Amino acid sequence: MHIPDGFLSLTICIVMYVISLGFLFWSWKKTKNSYSSSMTPLLAVSSAFVFAAQMINFPILYGTSGHLVGGTFLSVLLGPYAAILSMTIVVIMQALFFADGGIFTFGANVFNMAIIGGLSFFLVKALTHESKSNSRFFFSVFVASWVSMVLGALACGLQIGFSPLFSAAGGIVVTVPTMVFWHILIGFGEAIITATLLTQLKRMPSTVLSSFTTLRGGIE
Amino acid sequence: MNNYVKALIVILVCMAVLIPFASSDPDGLERVAEDLGVEETESPSGGIMPDYTVPMVKNDYGSTLIAGVIGVFLVLGAGLVLGKTLTKHDS
Repeated sequence: MHIPDGFLSLTICIVMYVISLGFLFWSWKKTKNSYSSSMTPLLAVSSAFVFAAQMINFPILYGTSGHLVGGTFLSVLLGPYAAILSMTIVVIMQALFFADGGIFTFGANVFNMAIIGGLSFFLVKALTHESKSNSRFFFSVFVASWVSMVLGALACGLQIGFSPLFSAAGGIVVTVPTMVFWHILIGFGEAIITATLLTQLKRMPSTVLSSFTTLRGGIE
Repeated sequence: MNNYVKALIVILVCMAVLIPFASSDPDGLERVAEDLGVEETESPSGGIMPDYTVPMVKNDYGSTLIAGVIGVFLVLGAGLVLGKTLTKHDS
């Protein structure tokens, strides 16, 4: 899902930068007001986990692979705003050091993975609806992580489809359905991994995971 | 031992074990680009560890593992800095 440099027109790069920087600024303000320092190690380690997990591609079908994005994973652990910032760190490091996702396309990549992923928190919240049941939690995370993957792919399909390189090849009429198709499948991988990991973490004794406030108190 | 240190060790061990099994097939976006005949151009930024490899290391597994470990610590460090910055209250 990481868009390399060259895939997007300059206009779309700029528009996506503006949108993403707006969301980042908003997340920064929100986090600054509510963030407690005991969250720092959790934020750092869970971001490191997401970076590592993104390196491990799993095969999907017909010679296509996918990997965990982890936006929903971070959003449930850290809350939506800190998750957006935390995922942005991962995307920055990938673009700067690993040529995974471009510099010009950074705004678009942040939007598709960090912002959509972070905001999927609200879908988890709506679906759990104050229920403390583990199966309800599993189901909610499953759906939210699948949706965040498909929406990210939809956004990516639009961004590349409106850019000259891909509009020559058919534009959004082709890019949107194909991006969505592959990520409907990859999304199931995302959903199974995210829901399983988070449900297991939620079941651990609270003495072990005292700072998992979002998980502990239910999704508030 | 601190739980977060334990978690970090688990992450690194899992990464070391899983790297050889990672699929090298194109991902969703790469597949779409390939099918439409769009070529990925050389990134202007390049990156010192392109595609999660350390160019100096010839062994494929070692190269990816080292790049991965470096990446994990880069993100960990940045996460700690972010956390510290967020809790540094304006005076």
